Amino acid sequence: MKSRDLDVRVKLAVYGHFAVTGRRPSTEDVAAAAGENVEGVLASYGRLRAARVLVLEEDGSSIRMAPPFSGIPTRHVVEVDGRRYFANCAWDALGVPAALHEPATVHSRCGQSDEALQLRVGLEGPERSAWLFHCLVPAARWWDDIVFT
Amino acid sequence: MLFFRSEERVREWCSARASPVRPLVSMAQLWALAKAWYGSRLQPDSRRPRPEEMSEIFSDLGLEGDFWDPTSDAFR
Repeated sequence: MKSRDLDVRVKLAVYGHFAVTGRRPSTEDVAAAAGENVEGVLASYGRLRAARVLVLEEDGSSIRMAPPFSGIPTRHVVEVDGRRYFANCAWDALGVPAALHEPATVHSRCGQSDEALQLRVGLEGPERSAWLFHCLVPAARWWDDIVFT
Repeated sequence: MLFFRSEERVREWCSARASPVRPLVSMAQLWALAKAWYGSRLQPDSRRPRPEEMSEIFSDLGLEGDFWDPTSDAFR
């Protein structure tokens, strides 16, 4: 139960940092916000990764994904009230305003032609658009390689 | 998981990679998926949908078949 409580605090610290700054937190940032030491945070990261809440870089401590947020720049940029977020994929680009419950503008590009997409998203959803979403990987295999998916 | 300007652009992209064209998803459907996956993500008790919940979400949006079945072994 103790580790479960810690995992909730760590998760909230990670997501709270992304929500406020648009950037991934350092391990020290999370430790301070969660009231835990760095070793405890890293142990929690491992459990959260196993639960598919976080995706870590190979160093085991840098956050690559806290879906829908990306820890690194991507082609999917979401603007919310002057803040900029990177999303992991097209799905997550709409996931950012869904998670924040705020209006947003999604900036991305066509996967084939590179034509720019600018999509306004209100609290009730995106403006009418003929653009499409396409996913190559079947649902049962998304987590085989979530970065590729 | 990418955005495309049209179905034609999807077909071009898949053809260039010798990949099958998968089911196309509208922006309205994608918004419903985004809300289902992430609407409570910043809350303490949030979690990813379980496989049976995923299937129900997809089915409600008309997204059915092996491609959308999180337990399918059709692509193994």
